[in-house]
Amino acid sequence: MNPIIETQDLARHFSRGRVKALQGVSLSVQPGKIFGLLGPNGAGKTTFIKILLGLQRPDGGAARIFGIPVQDPAARTNVGYLPENHRFPEFLTGGALLDYCGRLSGMRDPDERRRRAEILLKRVNMSDWRDTRTKKYSKGMVQRLGLAQALLHDPQLIFLDEPTDGVDPIGRKEIRDLLMELKQEGKTIFLNSHLLSEVEMICDEVAILHKGKLLRQGTVQELTTSDRRYRLHVHVDDQDLLQQIRDKSAFAEAQNGHLDVVVNGFEPLNEIIDLIRRRQLLIEAIVPHRQTLEESFVQTIQGAGTSDFNTLFSSEEKKSQGAQA
Amino acid sequence: MSKIWAVCYYTFRESLARKTFIGFFVVSSIVLALLLLALNVDAVDGALASVTLFGKEAQGFEIEVRKLVINIEAGLATALFTGGLFFSIFATASLTPNMLDKGNIDWLLAKPISRPQLLVGRYLGGLLIVAFNVFYLIGGAWLILSLKTGIWHAPFLISGVLITAIFAVIFAFMVMLGVALQNSAVAIMGAYLILFFSPMLFQRDRIYALLSNKIYQWLLDGLYFLTPRTFEIGDLVRKTVLAEPAGSLNPLWHSLLLGGLFFSSALWIFRRKNF
Repeated sequence: MNPIIETQDLARHFSRGRVKALQGVSLSVQPGKIFGLLGPNGAGKTTFIKILLGLQRPDGGAARIFGIPVQDPAARTNVGYLPENHRFPEFLTGGALLDYCGRLSGMRDPDERRRRAEILLKRVNMSDWRDTRTKKYSKGMVQRLGLAQALLHDPQLIFLDEPTDGVDPIGRKEIRDLLMELKQEGKTIFLNSHLLSEVEMICDEVAILHKGKLLRQGTVQELTTSDRRYRLHVHVDDQDLLQQIRDKSAFAEAQNGHLDVVVNGFEPLNEIIDLIRRRQLLIEAIVPHRQTLEESFVQTIQGAGTSDFNTLFSSEEKKSQGAQA
Repeated sequence: MSKIWAVCYYTFRESLARKTFIGFFVVSSIVLALLLLALNVDAVDGALASVTLFGKEAQGFEIEVRKLVINIEAGLATALFTGGLFFSIFATASLTPNMLDKGNIDWLLAKPISRPQLLVGRYLGGLLIVAFNVFYLIGGAWLILSLKTGIWHAPFLISGVLITAIFAVIFAFMVMLGVALQNSAVAIMGAYLILFFSPMLFQRDRIYALLSNKIYQWLLDGLYFLTPRTFEIGDLVRKTVLAEPAGSLNPLWHSLLLGGLFFSSALWIFRRKNF
């Protein structure tokens, strides 16, 4: 299957090359998936999306959407986009804004635009606000309307930059449900979010970007499953036994009836099981340890040499992007 | 084309929602109401029998009706050329920078519309709202005066075309500044500087006498050729309405050419800009 998004060695520099926002990023997104782009502040996520949407021009490499170079407006015919911190014209009502967006997206039939607007406003729970000017909307309502305009022309590919920003917990759940419905309909969703738990819940595939470089790309399962770490449900009180286990593993710790071990392959794991069984101890379960996406993310970034985790998920991103721009 | 029209239409609507244009419209409506209700002209065989304003007879009008109508129209055209341009510059200066604001341009450019289409639509929308206001006043005044006096003086309508044309040139200059600098204040200042210096540049021959260095002369000549000739077009507007010989149309063609150059530059900058 041809990828819906494909980039090759995408590079973007700011401040005459001193700031390297993207350094040879190559990734591909298959159709029908929810793809999450993760990265700490200033990793280059927004720059990456902006290049894909033609808002910025790359300094090197190539990017294609539906096989069409992103510089060509035709590449965006079947694309919906919800930007972060978007501002809609305040003189327009929600309904009029959707009509405007529909016209810009090439929907020529006014009845079709009206019909789609009704459906979308209902879908994001904004039907009652259709005839109210957007300047009276709360942040969460603007976000919902943003989602509606992104979906109006029924695009196959949808870019969402922090879609649940400013939305209350119930609204977040509704948006998550909507994204899952869109996936069921066969849409491809490219999600940029700081909420890792949210990404973990809905994304099929994830890429981690750091300092403009792509560190990892894979399914959420691949990123969160550690093939070397196991949790054995067994009571081990014998310090001598524990020492023998430690000799065969990279790490072993017993607490509250659990024995956590990190081993290099299945052979040492089986040797440890043999040791425990020789002492007539009962193993209730052996569970491969699964990290949360957040743990995996932090580990990946740590591995890339970042130690200052206070900078993650802070408002500094906006500052750095502002400086870059 | 339909996308350009969509941008143009919504820019027109955006402008209509602004207080400055509402003010422009209200002032124009008051002028039209004055002409409609307060001015009464009685003519006998083409000569004025009496002119009454707010019910009081104006004395000393021993001129033909035609001359009176043309003088009123010339006064309106001159007022519209100076005041209307001043007002329109102020009201439209923020159209381009607002469109380019972060948060606004993102969702616009993500639509399948090319950058030139977007800017052309925006430009035409701004031009359309000014043309609407200009022709509302000029067309309305022309109709009222013509119906009241029976004098149908078409050159007054041409003055509306000339005023709209010179605004189109200045607006192109503002769009260029707006795209390059994303700042309404600079666009306003730039446009007002053109209006302010145009009479001086026209009279540059007299200024040469005061200058010792030839470089200043070249500089003034350069500025004269690189700026729209608003002063001369203002004179052209007055002469057109008064049905006097207009002389050369070169200032108009020169200004329109510059307008084209300004707008082409704006397109070039906009196409290359990163957001």
